[in-house]
Amino acid sequence: MKELIKKLTQTSAPSGRESKIREIIFEEVKDFIDGYEVDRLGNLIVWKKGKSSQKLLLEAHMDEIGVIAAYIDEKGFIRIEAVGGVSPYNLLGSRIIFQNIEGVVGIEGETTEDLQKNMRELNFDKIFVDIGVEDREKAEELVPLGSFGVYSASFTDLGKRLVSKSMDDRIGCAILIEALKKMNPYHNVYGAFSVQEEMGLVGASVVAFNIDPDIAIAIDVTGWSDTPKGPKRMSIELGKGPCIKVKDSASISDRRVVERLRELAEKNGIPYQLEILLHGGTDAAAIQRTASGIVSGTLSIPCRYVHSPHEMIDIDDVENAVRLLQVLAEEPNAL
Amino acid sequence: MIELIDNKIDKEVKVELIEILKRLSSLDGPSGYEREVIKYIKEEVEKIPNTKSQIDRLGNLIVRKEGTGKKIALFAHSDEIGFVLTKKEYGNYWRFSTFGGIDPKAVISQRFRIHTKDGGIAIGVVGMLEPHLQTEETKAKVPSFDYLFLDIVEGGEKVSIGDIGVFSSEPFLLSEKYFTGKALDNRVSCVTLLYILELLSTFIHTTDIYFVFSIREEDGSSGAKTVAYNLKPDLAIVLDVTHGDVEIPSYPKIETGKGPALDIGPVINYEYLEKLRKLAEKISVSYQIEPTGGVSYTDTDAIQITRGGIPTLLVSLPLRYMHTPYEVVNIKDIEETGRLLSSFVTRGGE
Amino acid sequence: MYLKELTELNGVSGYEKKVKEFIKEKIKSKVSGLEEDTLGNLIVWKKGKDNKRLMLCAHMDEVGFMVSNIEEDGRLSVMPMGGIDLRTVIGKRVLIGEKEVPGVIGYKAIHLQKGDQLSPPSIENLKIDIGITKKSEAENKVKVGDFIAFSTESVINSEWIAGKALDDRGGCSILIDLIENDIDLFYETYFVFSVQEELGLRGAGIAAERIKPDFAIVIETTTSGDNPEFPESRRSTELGKGPAISSAHSGYVIDEVLFNWILSNTKELGIPYQIKRRTVGGTDARRIATTLGGIPSAVISIPARYIHSPLSVMNLKDYENTLRLIAKLLTKEVKE
Repeated sequence: MKELIKKLTQTSAPSGRESKIREIIFEEVKDFIDGYEVDRLGNLIVWKKGKSSQKLLLEAHMDEIGVIAAYIDEKGFIRIEAVGGVSPYNLLGSRIIFQNIEGVVGIEGETTEDLQKNMRELNFDKIFVDIGVEDREKAEELVPLGSFGVYSASFTDLGKRLVSKSMDDRIGCAILIEALKKMNPYHNVYGAFSVQEEMGLVGASVVAFNIDPDIAIAIDVTGWSDTPKGPKRMSIELGKGPCIKVKDSASISDRRVVERLRELAEKNGIPYQLEILLHGGTDAAAIQRTASGIVSGTLSIPCRYVHSPHEMIDIDDVENAVRLLQVLAEEPNAL
Repeated sequence: MIELIDNKIDKEVKVELIEILKRLSSLDGPSGYEREVIKYIKEEVEKIPNTKSQIDRLGNLIVRKEGTGKKIALFAHSDEIGFVLTKKEYGNYWRFSTFGGIDPKAVISQRFRIHTKDGGIAIGVVGMLEPHLQTEETKAKVPSFDYLFLDIVEGGEKVSIGDIGVFSSEPFLLSEKYFTGKALDNRVSCVTLLYILELLSTFIHTTDIYFVFSIREEDGSSGAKTVAYNLKPDLAIVLDVTHGDVEIPSYPKIETGKGPALDIGPVINYEYLEKLRKLAEKISVSYQIEPTGGVSYTDTDAIQITRGGIPTLLVSLPLRYMHTPYEVVNIKDIEETGRLLSSFVTRGGE
Repeated sequence: MYLKELTELNGVSGYEKKVKEFIKEKIKSKVSGLEEDTLGNLIVWKKGKDNKRLMLCAHMDEVGFMVSNIEEDGRLSVMPMGGIDLRTVIGKRVLIGEKEVPGVIGYKAIHLQKGDQLSPPSIENLKIDIGITKKSEAENKVKVGDFIAFSTESVINSEWIAGKALDDRGGCSILIDLIENDIDLFYETYFVFSVQEELGLRGAGIAAERIKPDFAIVIETTTSGDNPEFPESRRSTELGKGPAISSAHSGYVIDEVLFNWILSNTKELGIPYQIKRRTVGGTDARRIATTLGGIPSAVISIPARYIHSPLSVMNLKDYENTLRLIAKLLTKEVKE
């Protein structure tokens, strides 16, 4: 599974420009599904038929955060805008990869004082991308205005822990792919790979509209609390199992989904954690509010340094998440 | 169609209203966990003849008094603010988070009921460090939720992460006119809907009337929105609460005991509002006007733009000390709102 | 082009009726169908060669205020409707309610401000003066809940227009011009004059739900920042450089197929154009895209200065080029 995670996370596909990752995901699942569809916004929806009349929707988002080239000055330095929740602090000192070239993020500072102030109160006005060219024309050839870039950061296997950019939410995609491959579903299972979650749950707002599932589970990363002086009110630890989300700042999981996932995890000896995330949300918030309402919840992977170029997850949490979803799809009374 | 001309409320009915409100206030149902509240309301509804009630797949309770005419739906959300255990410290100490906007001051030196996974109740306390041990600096600030913790004094061994809690206030009649307890936001509206349902059982009406006890208002109105999508009423009237008896600069003072506050603004349908106002004057129901220049932060906002657009009205009961353990309402406002809306819906909103 | 008339009408969010009536008068005899929904959106359509539906959308509403209280001394307290910058409203004329009662937004004289003149006014300090000194008298003329619109008169010549509400009467004027011209429409084209965009994109979604279009293009009037005080590198658009095509904005990345289609048609037309540089702010496109099963959407804007204030500025060449671009797009099939 590590190879799959590496392939997915090392693909460049920011919100709104997901075609590359959609193709890769489709290649991975196409031999294991009964049908598929790409909807009007670019969401990839696949399905596997089951014996029951019930529908289970499992969802992960394909997009990652990134930047847009907004303006190029006469010397070829590029100003950028955020696509999704990219913090300028995470950009500083990072590399950005555009379609044809990589660049380094630099910071303005005419005086020592200015520089210090800019570091303390960093925003997009004070940073730029340097792609190593000397003039505007050359830069525009390589990076046309309005084109997209993502973090350039490698995948590292630390054994139990994996580090890469865009674990959010390629890890969810990997889990969904693996689960679809392994499961022999009792229920009808829909796997949705959504677009533009990072822009505000755009794809997820429509993906369930035509499916109308009995239950929907979003698979995404969550935060963490297990680093030195980590958030003191949260209890989310890498390696302690996938998280069954109780609530986050965007939605409250349906209590029946929480209870059902817990039951299945305990019955099958799968470690898990109950999760309350203080800041952040997932596609479940949008799916829940689709049309006449869908019973929804989220299964999360604890992830350190979310939205930085180097997100860290635990491979056991990932494999246990796959197991839990498989059980959910195969167990006759699961829904 | 028979008009309601009697404007005096039966003493018996009043006592019953207070008993129901007491019960509603003491039931615990934070957003997403309204099951017990919905169950109780359904029991009360089933005592009223000619009603059909149903709980939808999300958990909203929808009651119908069938008619052949215009479809009018009255909405009241049944969820309250609450708390959830997020992390165990050592001993009986737990960190927690909130459902809905809560002032840390309302939580300090309070007792909480926590519902444990085995169906039991644990008791927790949020205390304040004794002044003798505090410095001038700490005394000058109210601690935020990052600095607060629950001390579980009973049932500590039974609680776990994800357990839901509420203020453990017990509701009571403060005086002849005023009632107090937790969760009057929005249980006072729920009891008003029940009152209207009761009043209507003595009429014949052609209007097809729905009473929606919705869930998850604090979770982006996801309950009301999805019911509205399904029902697609010709008119939706949302009952909620608003701040009563408080001076807000540039704002009219909405007072308890002066009847419901009718909202005016872009999320309201003006034609229906005019009709409601005229009716109030005709049958001598006192009312107040409350301006809202944008969204109202109630279920009205989501309902109005659902399913191709639904005409909406927002009627609010004035309430003191919102989102604290002892909110206060005036019983008369329940009566007046009930009188006005039962008459209004019977006439099909004309 | 009806920029002068449209920008002088009052249509604060939630109270767009007067603008709608003006537009209806101009176009009702020129369309195949017309509909108004419960929120007040005006939806008209014209047939094309193909049965698929293209929805164009411009919002009718502008920012303003609402009467929130009538004070004892006869002056009116206000609450904002839409994202209005309170530093821009001092010393402006307004019109209140259906009856358009005139008033002014006065403020304490500088002599009396104790050196505090650089602090922005708070909403509590803003009062409308309608020339009445008693609350009871004021209540005969206005009421709590009445909308308050700026009554700026527009100045227009062959190059520029300066007036209020260019956001988005500019877009509305474009839609009227498109309807009036006899364009060889490719798709069945829906022209939506939407409401309450400034309050959170509230009108466009329900119009889209009724129409069920295959694509949508939002026509907005957008930010610029092209002045001597604002750094060039952080400008959104520049006046005189043509229509601005958005690649992304708050809550939505523009559909890739539509974006490329618009860009290639623009280049073919040979008009000046710009890719909108900044992604701040949102449009109805977000709301439309997330409606029903999803509707791919794009945004084309006329650049303007000083929007969300009582006085903004637009270059009429940009207006004309935006009109030319959209007129061309309406004759074309959306293709990769």
